[in-house]
Amino acid sequence: MRRSRFRWVLPAYLGGGLLYLFLPVILVIVFSFNDLRGRFNVRWQGFTTEHWLALFRFPAIPRALATSLAIAFLSSFVATVLGTLVALALVRYRFRGRAATNVSLFMPMATPEVVMGSSLLALFVALRVGTGFLTILVAHVLFNISYAVATVRARIIGFDRHLEEAAMDLYADEWQTFRRVTLPMIMPGVFGAFLLGFALSIDDFVISNFTSGSLQTFPLYVWGAARRGIPPQVNAWGTLIFVATVSLMLLFLWYQRRRKPA
Amino acid sequence: MTHAEPPAVELKGVTKRFGDFTAVKDLNLAVGENRFFALLGPSGCGKTTTLRMIGGFEEPSEGSIHLHGEDVTNTKPFKRPVNTVFQSYALFPHLSIFENVAFGLRRRRVEEAEVRRKVEAILDLVQLGARGNQKPRQLSGGQQQRVALARALVNHPRVLLLDEPLGALDLKLRKEMQIELKRIQQDVGITFIHVTHDQEEAMTMADTIAVMNQGRIERMGEPTEIYEDPRTGFVASFLGASNLMQARVVSSGRGELAVDGGTPIWIQPERLQSGASLVLIGVRPEKLHLSEPQVPAHPPNVLPGVVTDVSFTGVTTQYLIATDAVGELVVVVQNLGDRRFHRNDEVTVGWYPEHGFVVA
Amino acid sequence: MVTDAVAAPNPTSTAAIRRPRRAPYLLLLPGMLWIALFFFIPLSQLVITSLQEGSLERGFELTWAWENYAALFTTYRAHFLRSMLFAGIATALALLIGYPLAYAIAFRTGRFKNLFLVLVLMPFLVPFLLRTLAWRIILADENVVVTTLQSVGILSPQGRLLATPVAVVAGLTYNLLPFMVLPIYVALEKLDRSMLEAAADLYGTPSVSFLRVTWPLSLPGVISGTLLTFIPAAGDYVEVELLGSPQSAMVGNVIESKFLNVIDYPAAASLSVGLMAVVVVFVVLYIRSFGTEELVT
Repeated sequence: MRRSRFRWVLPAYLGGGLLYLFLPVILVIVFSFNDLRGRFNVRWQGFTTEHWLALFRFPAIPRALATSLAIAFLSSFVATVLGTLVALALVRYRFRGRAATNVSLFMPMATPEVVMGSSLLALFVALRVGTGFLTILVAHVLFNISYAVATVRARIIGFDRHLEEAAMDLYADEWQTFRRVTLPMIMPGVFGAFLLGFALSIDDFVISNFTSGSLQTFPLYVWGAARRGIPPQVNAWGTLIFVATVSLMLLFLWYQRRRKPA
Repeated sequence: MTHAEPPAVELKGVTKRFGDFTAVKDLNLAVGENRFFALLGPSGCGKTTTLRMIGGFEEPSEGSIHLHGEDVTNTKPFKRPVNTVFQSYALFPHLSIFENVAFGLRRRRVEEAEVRRKVEAILDLVQLGARGNQKPRQLSGGQQQRVALARALVNHPRVLLLDEPLGALDLKLRKEMQIELKRIQQDVGITFIHVTHDQEEAMTMADTIAVMNQGRIERMGEPTEIYEDPRTGFVASFLGASNLMQARVVSSGRGELAVDGGTPIWIQPERLQSGASLVLIGVRPEKLHLSEPQVPAHPPNVLPGVVTDVSFTGVTTQYLIATDAVGELVVVVQNLGDRRFHRNDEVTVGWYPEHGFVVA
Repeated sequence: MVTDAVAAPNPTSTAAIRRPRRAPYLLLLPGMLWIALFFFIPLSQLVITSLQEGSLERGFELTWAWENYAALFTTYRAHFLRSMLFAGIATALALLIGYPLAYAIAFRTGRFKNLFLVLVLMPFLVPFLLRTLAWRIILADENVVVTTLQSVGILSPQGRLLATPVAVVAGLTYNLLPFMVLPIYVALEKLDRSMLEAAADLYGTPSVSFLRVTWPLSLPGVISGTLLTFIPAAGDYVEVELLGSPQSAMVGNVIESKFLNVIDYPAAASLSVGLMAVVVVFVVLYIRSFGTEELVT
């Protein structure tokens, strides 16, 4: 081990980096307690819990949040299912068009959201489909698929393919093999993909902006309110979202560690 | 012997290609009932591919596979009456030992009481009765291996396929398991097809060995037979060690040859079949006798030489002898307390004609 | 008992009928169909729209108006350049900040590796807009950062950070950091420790062994991270809206306004296509160097 004088540099940097990363988070949480006098929640004016006690004062916020949650749940579910199927195909089979598939999966991840959102809107306009819940759903599934594939794929690669052969050797047909061996083994990956999709969807702004029409998700509400002045309730709800997703994530990680295969 | 029953496993003209690479070339094979059959060969020779085709995990590019007379070439693995013990054991990590072993029975809808009975019986047989509720990761390698075996055997397959199952075990355990597997095969009375690259393992366990090389079976037969008469250079050096000598045929009727320098060498005439005038003779190191130059040697074949190296290995002593006639010879002598030779000693190397074999 | 034998070759052996492998295609179908329908077709639609002319009242008509693209090089040239510039700086900063972070987590955290990884990613579970708005607080005129910079002289007494490109870049860098850190971390984590020890053994100084061994081997992660950072940055408009000013408008802003406010679909579409073209160029370059297997992680 190198005993250099600079050993403290990296750990210090890590600490500083974490501080930098958490600063905005802390501010969001702290400013939900700001005793706001003006419209813009930018300067600290005193501590109060009134915003937390009046979470539902602006009913548009929880409504938007509920919309976000519904969309996140549904779109993530669909994307996870589709993505798992694709991941299975990619890992377990040789087929022509592999390269094309990989590229097609990568493109949505690489494309600027502005382009994706605007192109979807252009499609809906051309088809004369009204924008709303369904269109946002479609859009969210779209950008979630690629991430779902990536997540599940890593998990499938990790486990011994002889397990599926062993199951077939022991008289399980394709469906039974999938249900009793493959699925339980990749479940952590599938679950992780679902959570990832959920987080991405709840947070999505740009694409939703283009495809939502008049429907409001939580980020869209914030965007709209940004010019008028954002009530601290938004910070409070944002904090709640943060705590909830963090808890979910920690729960998931803990669950994954317990289920680690030999 | 009349073939009243079809062979347990039969491969006809089986070829397997992966893209440009041909792993198995026109393989023809028949394995009888209740045999311990070994597929032996170096990595890449096609033995595992062949096994996988019998199990149904690979489809042959050409040819057909029959189990007890039935053509199973296009049958999926879960419909074949064979079970496999995988090299990595492939135990289901999320299931208990009991559930692992019960897996095949459950898929065939055996009723619960029967399942319990059979699983417990076989776990007792492999001495893991107490561990039914544990998970695979809690067991040692040797124990996992026995679970894999139990999981396959509990289904009473007509053929059991083993893909280098002992590879991951340490030496002592491996030797124990070799004896154990052989015993189980004889007790249960089903055909075992065992893939391995370890020639000692094959010779210990198998009734019949097929030596594969580059997708083909080069030599097949009982262990002693193919050891003493390997017939090809590859088999001779893969199965044990051998000394190879070039010799000119003097009289094929009498089995008389001559090596460099004219010294006569005798061999069994039946083994000289090809009619060539130059042959390659092989003799196993343990079949060569060493004696002092003046002492009359018993074996008819003798060559003079000088000891260049001596290695003591406990059970045996291995000598390297340099001869003018045939180059370097390896001689292995059991340590019986007799006279031992030293470097630069002059010696006579001798062997009996029946111990020489012709290598193609 | 039948003795084993090498059975006589059967001259009439039947060739095995290969079952056509339908399974992979069936599995791929739903997912890839979705992508085809909602990604590739819209993109083509975008190209078509970009060649149209008209307005909301009159309707839009495909007239092969290639001159729409001319505007990219004239009216909107500044926006494109600014987008590239901001995205480039933000990416470079993200690399500078992110690489040491990834390195620190991969090599200096021992058993707590996963914990620190989680910690680094956790802040990004706060909604994107709220995080960006938090930067409004950090960079606000009356708060600590600005006042300090003013007193130290870096900023003039009336100097601001908000509504300047600096704020925009700061926001971009922050929001895109995880996309840089994660691929680099993954690449570093895969490195064989013994290789690094051998390097230390051979090269002696840590900096040289880093330059010659660690850095080159982490390059795929760096490239991947760069792509995943630069591209979203180039198309972004949120930071500009919230932290910048109309003078720092990027391409994304124009697209957004033309799609949603001014409703000039052809112009917006042509801008999108232009932006996409830049992206495609980068992606193609990447694929040329690294192939396609590593794309989806």
